[in-house]
Amino acid sequence: MSIVLSADNVTKVFTVGGGRTVTAVENLSLDVHEGEFMCLLGASGCGKSTMINMFAGFTQPTSGEVLLHGVPITGIEPRCGMVFQSYALFPWKTVRANVEFGLKMQGKPAAERRVIGERFINMVKLAGFEEHYPAELSGGMQQRVTFARILAANPEVLLMDEPFAALDAMTRQVMQEELLAIHERHRKTTVFITHNIDEALTLADRIVVLSARPGRVKAEVQNKLPRPRHVETQLTREYLELKAKLWRYVEEEIQRHDAAQRELVA
Amino acid sequence: MASTPARTGGRGATPARPRARGGSRYRPVLLLNVLGVFAFVGMWAAATELGWVSPIFLPSPMAVAREGQKLLSTGDLWTSVWASSRRVFLGFALAGVVAVPLGILMGVWWPAKATLDPFVSLLRPLPSITWIPLTMLWLGIGETQKIMIVFMGSWIYILLYTIESTKRVDPLLIRAARNLGANDLAVMTNVVLPGALPGILAGLKVTLAISWSCVLSAEMIAAQTGLGAMIWMAKDWGNLPLVLLGMVCISITVLIADLAANWIERALQPWERHKRD
Repeated sequence: MSIVLSADNVTKVFTVGGGRTVTAVENLSLDVHEGEFMCLLGASGCGKSTMINMFAGFTQPTSGEVLLHGVPITGIEPRCGMVFQSYALFPWKTVRANVEFGLKMQGKPAAERRVIGERFINMVKLAGFEEHYPAELSGGMQQRVTFARILAANPEVLLMDEPFAALDAMTRQVMQEELLAIHERHRKTTVFITHNIDEALTLADRIVVLSARPGRVKAEVQNKLPRPRHVETQLTREYLELKAKLWRYVEEEIQRHDAAQRELVA
Repeated sequence: MASTPARTGGRGATPARPRARGGSRYRPVLLLNVLGVFAFVGMWAAATELGWVSPIFLPSPMAVAREGQKLLSTGDLWTSVWASSRRVFLGFALAGVVAVPLGILMGVWWPAKATLDPFVSLLRPLPSITWIPLTMLWLGIGETQKIMIVFMGSWIYILLYTIESTKRVDPLLIRAARNLGANDLAVMTNVVLPGALPGILAGLKVTLAISWSCVLSAEMIAAQTGLGAMIWMAKDWGNLPLVLLGMVCISITVLIADLAANWIERALQPWERHKRD
């Protein structure tokens, strides 16, 4: 499988108040292969959001490079479509206009936009809500609109920054299954950020665990659990073993992070 | 909606609005509005007609109504209302045409803001009446001068509201638009302008009332027509009912202007419809 997206020895340092600096990501290297679903797993503050923002071109690395097909990403990259945790739908546009936005920006004629938009609105089960505004929809429905919007724009890579974090547990489960179905169908290279081990195990082909700040690659776990993965998968022995393994990695990092904090205070 | 797909969250397409405090029963708001006004006018009438207050200090509502009837029959009332309204409208429209684009520019492009900020800071504290001597010197005491006073008293507020609303547009939405391939122009028309619109409209509404106070002070100082001039001349003649009539006319005219502004606001922002009943 060819490499689509990669981080090559990336370090990102932020300057915070009072001239102090925080190293969010340090010497991080990883490759994302074509068609794979990769989860970046880590506790809060491990630099996973920083990493995905660099993939989208929202911020640039302090050193090292972020590459799409071997070419450095230096500005906002529409080929890496982003799904935000807080949806980022345009409140003044209807569901239809939101979904068609990327196509409009690509200069597609109105008739074609309509057909493509309709297809993805149907796919995320929002037929009948085309003329609604985002504020008139529930959180789960709004996140579906963002999926339709990004899929209609047809980027090469999907970047997802904890897209389900704001949803309740049951909606989250439903949305995960829908996302999996979409992934089965389109096989788009996906980078998905989460701090939820179950979510990572349900979705990913490969899970990269990041260390506590500064973020480095702590471990990589191949997830070969059979698809489709329903709720029952979470009861299998393989699943539980993987979960225990991942939890040990994450726990180590949380403890290391806490120890570092205590040292800082003392 | 004929076919309603399965919903996932608490809020659906027809969100259950949170009940107002005090239960869900029908509340006769309009009835109380009207009753309150009647009670007030009734007390006013009683106080004046029963001789508790001398008509020299406060004329009765009937005297005000008689004055109104007289001016309506001669057509003078409409002339005054129209003269003031026209000045407000022209001055306010000019202020909007200048200040909204300038405010957007200053909101999105920092060099413009940095260059103009000192002027804004210096002009802002000046009430519009301080411009009356200079504008009279430059423009005489005709219509242009009145319109200019309205303009000078209004544009700075529209500008400040516009800058603030433009800067407050959610940067995440701008990111999202760029991520979907939007260029600068598309970000401007699809994100910045609609994002700033509610704030700009709110600013225009507040400023419209300010524009009215500008025109009235200008008319009180030097004008032959308009509600401000009418009140000022009535004062000189000792016609207190006419003074009160002028004040009532101002209130009603601004109220109607405000209703029109609300209607325009709703028409321009269909996406805010869920907040209304």
